[in-house]
Amino acid sequence: MTASKREFGRASRRAVLQGMAMAGASVAAPALITRALAQDGPIRIGVISPLTGAWTVYGKAHSAGFELAVDEINEAGGVLGRELEIVIGDSKTEPRIVVEQANRLIRQENVDFLAGTFSSAERNAAGPVVRSGNKVLLYPTFYEGQEKEYAPGVCNPNIFMFGPEPTQQVWPHLEYMLSNFGKKFFMIGSDYAWPRVTNAVTKQKLQELGGEVVGEVYIPFNTPQYESVLRDIRQSGADVIFHSLTGSDTVNFRQQFAAAGMKKDFVLWTVDDEEVVTSGLGPDVSANDFVSFDYFMSIDHPNNAAFLERFRTKFGDDALMNTVGVAMYNAAHMAALAITKAGEVSTDALRQNLKGMSFDRAPQGPVRMREIDNQLVLPSYLMKVREGWTGVGDMFEEVQSFQSVEPLDARCDLPL
Amino acid sequence: MQFALSVAVDATLITLVLALAAFGLAVIYGLIGVINMGHGAMLTLGAYFTWWSVSAGLPFFLAVAVAAIGVGLIGLAFEHLVIRHFYERPFETLLLTWAFFLIATEMIKIVFGSDFRNVASPISGAWVVGPLNLPAYRALVCMLTLVLMAGTAFVLFKTNIGIKIRALVQNREVASLLGLNIARTYKLVFFAGSAVAGLAGGLIAPMLSIDPYIGNVFLVRSFFVVIVGGVGQLLSGTLIGSFLIGGTETIFALFSSQVIAQAAVFFVAIVLLRFRPQGMMRGR
Repeated sequence: MTASKREFGRASRRAVLQGMAMAGASVAAPALITRALAQDGPIRIGVISPLTGAWTVYGKAHSAGFELAVDEINEAGGVLGRELEIVIGDSKTEPRIVVEQANRLIRQENVDFLAGTFSSAERNAAGPVVRSGNKVLLYPTFYEGQEKEYAPGVCNPNIFMFGPEPTQQVWPHLEYMLSNFGKKFFMIGSDYAWPRVTNAVTKQKLQELGGEVVGEVYIPFNTPQYESVLRDIRQSGADVIFHSLTGSDTVNFRQQFAAAGMKKDFVLWTVDDEEVVTSGLGPDVSANDFVSFDYFMSIDHPNNAAFLERFRTKFGDDALMNTVGVAMYNAAHMAALAITKAGEVSTDALRQNLKGMSFDRAPQGPVRMREIDNQLVLPSYLMKVREGWTGVGDMFEEVQSFQSVEPLDARCDLPL
Repeated sequence: MQFALSVAVDATLITLVLALAAFGLAVIYGLIGVINMGHGAMLTLGAYFTWWSVSAGLPFFLAVAVAAIGVGLIGLAFEHLVIRHFYERPFETLLLTWAFFLIATEMIKIVFGSDFRNVASPISGAWVVGPLNLPAYRALVCMLTLVLMAGTAFVLFKTNIGIKIRALVQNREVASLLGLNIARTYKLVFFAGSAVAGLAGGLIAPMLSIDPYIGNVFLVRSFFVVIVGGVGQLLSGTLIGSFLIGGTETIFALFSSQVIAQAAVFFVAIVLLRFRPQGMMRGR
């Protein structure tokens, strides 16, 4: 049974390869449906999380968010009478491994769709695999937005974005930061796509509002010492440090920034440091810095209170949640709703029904998937780190927030 | 002038912190010839032991002492159980110490978890000396590095055990013929090198994120320090090597990007090794 199924799958792939694209697609589509109907087992979802490697610290919330949602869905009776089953793949924080895992999950584990990958580099690695394997990927992380030149990692009809991009995460708060702290920005970020594109998009709006960039540096991964950067910042005359370093570099830089006694002279605004990293910084180093995201554990929303109660029951009182974990949570629920609406499990049905799907129980407040570019419409919060915080509950203080922030249209051939 | 001075201060701070991080490696590699690929894990263990002791209520500097002794003892056990059987086979020790790194890193994840941890800086703020801005804790660490090196020099050149170690470095066979207990001296050096790595990890902890890979950011740089400085040239070699690696980075960062500066360091190191393969302090 399984063997013949595999044979069939291989034959239809070969047909596509032979250049009979149209014919191949029309043969394959009904085949997928028959397969779905024939299966009574669970709906299998491949989850790719950074469980080991440099970004292990984020991996826990990442996979926990998805697990929690799947538990909730299964307790409520599953989807179309079938249970959801997670098949986990460890990305080891390496794009190369993401390709291996995505291939394994699609071709050996026969999952119905994928969720996860963490960094933009990981997502870009998965892009071609989900395109050729014709599976949907639900991507949870705040990221740089969709630019055509990075396709198929973005601008890919099979990838759905559940995290904020810069026109949602940064733009809504620029005016507040400019009018309260000054117009001169110093940008510091890690040396890869996300910080560079985020800064480019931020600059666009910043200049529109009359601000200017007085310095811009990119730091290679795993840089231990920051003396020369700190000197550049001191001499730049900046008002605001716009910060997009990632992983341990963010902690290294901010520890040394605080130790150099520079906190009193500059306002720091980070678009990377959520609950996990801020816990790693400790209260002295992080106090009074600004952070913007779509979700924080400390936001005051009834959805969030209920969500956190269930999260803590499952993972313990000390477990940390963050924007990425919540995006994974929303992704699982919205995929389940889309499958229910479609009445079948297939890539086409999932893709069509995710578009325009709303989810009112999202922990950060209601969210909606845009039809035109697979980007989520979500809230945007600007928070300030409290002085002397003791835990995630009192870590952040809300400065301002916007519900249902629409992004700019993706820079792709639309609609996706 | 003021600018030049502040660059000089930055270069000094970078050099001495790097020297501290590399010193444990220099001790073990330079004195007994074991290429300790586990050095990064020893730094990491030092940071975690410090964090753990501080969390348990110990004052910071006592916690660092606990870390140094703790990592020293782990190194001692590793030497006794494994390394001492392989002194004649450098390639095997390379693999074994790498295995130590892998196992230690996974053990850290199991015992301490993989979350970011932090140790508050025992002294915060900056000392303003005239036009200069000295981060207080880093400056203190740099002074301790100098004290540590002076102490090592004293042990090596003014004590009996120092004479034994130097005899061993110069000629192992003759030293053993003269009745020197080689096994015990090696053990002592391995303990000392591990303890110094633990000490460095503890002292560096308040400047960095404490995660299971904290030691790695210094591992490659440490190797360059030791090789560029000259293997076996414990004090002058480590200082010169650190200055060439750290100082080059600072100076290149002045007029190019950080990315280019960090790449330039390795380029400079390779060029230096091409013309002085024995390191800067050797082969005169």
